[in-house]
Parts: sequence; structure tokens; C-alpha cells
Amino acid sequence: MAIIEVVNVDKIYNDSEVKVTALSNINLKVEKGEFTAIVGPSGSGKTTLLNLLGGLDTPTNGKIRVGDVWLNELKGSKLIDFRLRNIGFVFQSYNLIPVLTAGENVELIMQLQGVPAKLRKQVAADMLGKVGLADRINSRPAKLSGGQQQRVAVARALASKPQFILADEPTANLDGKAAENLLQIMEQLNQTEGVTFIFSTHDQRVVSRARRVIQLEDGKIKSDFLQ
Amino acid sequence: MSYIKMAQRNLWRNKRRTVITISSIFFAVLFAVVMRSFQLGSYSLMIRNAIEQYYGFIRVQHPDFTDDPSLENTFEIDPNLPVKISKVPNVKAVTARLETFALASSGNITKGVLVLGIEPEAEKQFSNPEQFLVRFTIPMAVWDSSDKKLALSDKVRKVLAAHMGESFTDAAKLASIFKDQPIDSMQLNQILHLSRVQGRFISNGDSGVVISSMLAKFLNIQVGDSLVMLSQGYQGASAAGIYPVVGIVRIPNPELDNRMVYMPLQMAQSFTNTHNLLSYMAINLQDVSDKALMATTDSVRKVLANSGLDVKTWQDLNKVLVQQIESDNQSGKAFLFLLYFVVFFGIFGTVIMMVHERMHEFGVLVAVGMQKVNLALTVLLEMLMMALIGIALGYLVALPIIHYYHIHPIRLTGEMAKMMIDMGFEPLMPMAPFDFYVLWQGVSVIFMVSPACIYPIRKILKLKTVEAIKR
Repeated sequence: MAIIEVVNVDKIYNDSEVKVTALSNINLKVEKGEFTAIVGPSGSGKTTLLNLLGGLDTPTNGKIRVGDVWLNELKGSKLIDFRLRNIGFVFQSYNLIPVLTAGENVELIMQLQGVPAKLRKQVAADMLGKVGLADRINSRPAKLSGGQQQRVAVARALASKPQFILADEPTANLDGKAAENLLQIMEQLNQTEGVTFIFSTHDQRVVSRARRVIQLEDGKIKSDFLQ
Repeated sequence: MSYIKMAQRNLWRNKRRTVITISSIFFAVLFAVVMRSFQLGSYSLMIRNAIEQYYGFIRVQHPDFTDDPSLENTFEIDPNLPVKISKVPNVKAVTARLETFALASSGNITKGVLVLGIEPEAEKQFSNPEQFLVRFTIPMAVWDSSDKKLALSDKVRKVLAAHMGESFTDAAKLASIFKDQPIDSMQLNQILHLSRVQGRFISNGDSGVVISSMLAKFLNIQVGDSLVMLSQGYQGASAAGIYPVVGIVRIPNPELDNRMVYMPLQMAQSFTNTHNLLSYMAINLQDVSDKALMATTDSVRKVLANSGLDVKTWQDLNKVLVQQIESDNQSGKAFLFLLYFVVFFGIFGTVIMMVHERMHEFGVLVAVGMQKVNLALTVLLEMLMMALIGIALGYLVALPIIHYYHIHPIRLTGEMAKMMIDMGFEPLMPMAPFDFYVLWQGVSVIFMVSPACIYPIRKILKLKTVEAIKR
């Protein structure tokens, strides 16, 4: 069974006087272990789709299933708790907590999950080791480069043992070398540990490494292919 | 990483803002504690001077004595009554008095005075006026002879001139008038020698009187001089007498110090032809709180059942003083409210800035799985920590100040002192010791911070994750 199923999803913004259709009639399935890129020009609906898949936003029509749970059935604190235990996030601008060290940022998610302190520290060190930052465990975000911060964000996302990780333009703020390094790590995690990645991107380097590419245009899926 | 640790680190992410906020709380607590301490210290001094040393916290008297405090509204004493009253729990001391007004004269100066017939031994246990016995009075002689006998600087002579005729109960108090002037111990000893007053307090069966220092100064009377008194006695009889002054007392309450004549009770009864009549019995208490006062008053009333006597509290008899204290107390509280109100807006401004700066971060935290309630708790902890640090620092500075000025009250001088004396108060500004009022200031700050917390909590609970992340 697919870990994600999107059924007839529309997203229409009614906030201003003009109705904006961000997504229209989206149907897709994502299987466990996929390394999927959602591509498309600005305003095509990539981030909106990612927000819906992550339960950060709700569709105007249609429904989304993650694992065996339909997200529209969850509200408030239950939805937050579901995200905590099932979905990992990597944001474009890293979004680490500035007052916490790299290790503490990774630990935070596990703390919210109620993982005992000793195990948290062990897992955090392990995760940071996987992204090549074992030696920066005690550094605060301000002392890390953009690439390093993004790798900490990946470790944070991994630490919660999610069903999949959503990455919104993860390389957008990184230079070529840092972006390449991050992609290698994500690819390796996908191949060796079967971590499912879904990322939106403009970056051709990222697109070329994705095994599945979903192309959006004007809120609709224009193409969906394996490469 | 506990929420407390996270809150603690968040506190210092914008050091300048945190320091400013903590400083505003610190100064608010410091000013509030110091101001309140001065206020309560002044009330305590007023009550001590007026009530403990004269009125008594409870009085037993004729029912009409309050409205018409004349000799016609006196009562005959039951010899067992003071003993019975002294056995009532919380009663510290009981004393019987006869009180009347008279004209006192010395030479060609006359003044209306308050004649207080007392039982000297019982009065020692009650108000102990003997402790105020004047040991030194700066006479003209010191001033006049200063050039010849003493090598005093002009400044010291000016000080002596300014205090000429002033009385002191001990050498240290006299010496304190020279605190800013250079004077060696030999000169001081000579001034003390020239100022010494050989007075004593009256005892049972004494034939002399003790008068207050401002009255003595006004009438230009010294120990050993005679005081002529004229008054109306019991049932219209005339009362007149001439009495040697055996001592002078400096009563802290200026109103009393201006007009008091102490004489033994029997002498006062003889002077006014009242035989064994009393004006009232005054009672002092161990615990002077309102609750204890009311309970003791009720107990004394029970002892006096069917005696036809009335029992009054000091509040019944000193309505003006009670009103003065109450109105000053209310205005003090209003000032504190304003102070806290201003500080509240300072804190509220900080909170608004903090929330707007961190909305994106809040959004991220909620997105990755932090419950909004926990997030609100973290922010609440930050606010609480700021408040507690400000309060603790405020206490840390305020407590030594109030302790010092409780032991060493500020003595007002110049016009301010004159104004206080004219109003009937001792020109002293003591501070109240540590008590619940200090803790209340901290509690007030917590109460003040609480509404400021509503804003971030509301913002967090109503946070829309996607919008917050976009910011």
C-alpha cells in the first residue's frame, strides 16, 4: 500500500477578493522508499502541495491519506502529534532553533516524542554522524554554515523516524558544493536506509538525481514519470 | 533540553531587550518596596508616638468622656479593676490617669497645658515617659562663652545657636547635631557639661511635676523652677497650685511635647478636687493587629460588664489620625498602581516585539510537532523568569536599604522638619521592617506580568502554521 495517497485534491485561496486556485484535481500516490522531486515554475503549487502532504494546511476539496490515516480526520493537537510521529520536515531556510545546539535541535523532536534523555543523546549523535556533523554536535546554528545547518535539519527530520521526509527547496539557499553534499547524504539515506524523500525544487541538479519527477503547472500535475 | 532551559536560553537571545525589561521590573519593585516601607514606617511611628506613648490602644472611660472630656465625666475606680484587666490575654500594661486642662504660667508667660495625673510606677510599664527625661539642654551660656572658653569654629557655633534651648535625652543625640562639623571630644565634653540638666522623673507621693521640653522652652522654665497652674476643678471648684519642676521630658510626639505636664495621680486629684476619680484607664497591648485589638476589646468589655463604663479603641478616639493614615495609605497605593501600570506597558511592549520576531520560529516548532500548549508554556516560563529575576534583584537591593533605615531613621531638618512638627508629627522618616508588604510587591509584579502573557498565549494558540512559517 502506498504511504501517501492524494485523492481529488483542490486548494483554493479565498483570502483576498480574488479566488486563487493553487492546486486543482491532484491525484497521486507515493510508495515507501521513493526519492521524488516535485518540480515546476514559481506559483505552480509545489509548496502548497508539500504543505498539504505534511498536514500543515488543509485541502479545499479532496483528501489525503498518510499511512492508514486520512489527514482530514485529524484536528488540532492530534494533527500536530501525527506530524511529530510520522512526518519529517526540511525547510528551505533551515529553520533550526537558534538557542539550541545542533545536538539539541535534533534531540528536540525526540523529546517531544517522549524519548528518554539517554537514548535521545545517543540517537542525536548517531543522526549527526550520518550527515557528517558528529564533530559539530555542540555548535549553535549561528556557528554553522548554511550547508551544515541544512544537514542538521535533515538529521532532525530523521530523528523522529518518520514515514517520509518533506523537503521544501532544500538546496535553494546553498552553494553548489553544499547542495551536492546534501544531495549525496539524502540519496545515501534513501538507498541504504529506505528513507522516503519528497522534495520540491527548481534546481536541475536535484531533479536529475530524483528517481521520480512530478511536474506541476498552474496547480495541476503536468507530468509524473520515473527516470 | 527541558522547557525551562529553553526558556532560559531564549531569555538571553536578545540581551538588551531582556536587560531593559528586567531593569524596569527591578526599579518598580525597588521603588515600590522603599516607598511602601517609608509609608508604613511613618504610620507605625505615628501610632507608636501617639497611641503607645499616650492614648493607649484601648481606653476604659465614662461613656460621655469622648464627647466631653471634662472632670464631670470621670469615674470612681474599683481597686480590683486594673488587676482584672491586666489578666486579660494580650494586655501588656494598664494605667490609671486623670486628665484635665489648665493654664500654666512662669514669669509673665502663660500657656494652656494638658495636665496628666499618672501613677508613676504603672506609667513606667505603660508609656515609660522616664525614658524621655531630658539630660541635656543647650543653654545660652554655651553660645555666649564659646569664644572665651571653647575654641569652636564659626560653623560649630552656628550649629549651637540654631539648637539653642533644644533638649536631648542622651549625649549621643546632642553630639549628633555636630555630625557634619569638626569638633574634638574635649570640646564636646565641655558642651555636654554646660548643657547638663539635673532632672528626675516623678515618683509616687512626689510633690513636683515633670513638664515637656517644648513647653519648658516656651515658658523658659528649667529644672528647679516653679510652675503656676490655674484651672477649673471638679463640679466648678477652682483649682490652683504652684509646683516645682523636677524634670523635663522630650516627648517624641510634638503635639504632646508642646503642652504636657505630668504629676502624680494623687496630686492631680488634689489639684482638681476629684478625690479618687479617674478620667480613664489606658491599656497597651502585646499584639496590636486589628484582629487582636478587637478580640482584646471584647474581653475587656466582658470584664467591665455592668460597670457602666465604656471601652474604646484607639481608632474610636483618634478618628482624624485614622483618616490621615487611611487617606495617605490609599494615595500611596494609587501611586504604586500607576507605577505598576506604566511598567506593565513596558513589559507588554516587549512581549509584542518578542512575539512578532518569533512567529516564524513558533510556526516551525508547531510544524515539526510541538504542541501549542507546550510552546505557550515555554513563552510563559520566559516571562515568569524575567519577572522573577527583576523581583529578586529589586528585593536584593531594597532589603538592605529598608533594614538600614529601619534601624537608622532619616531625621528631617529645616523647613521639612518644621512642617512635620507643625502637623504634630515627629520629624523622622523610619522604614518599616521586612513584612508581608514586601512580598506583596513581588506578587503585584506577577499579577502585572500575567495579563501581558495573555497576548503571546493567545497568538500561539491561534497560530496558523503555514502563515507563520511564511513570515
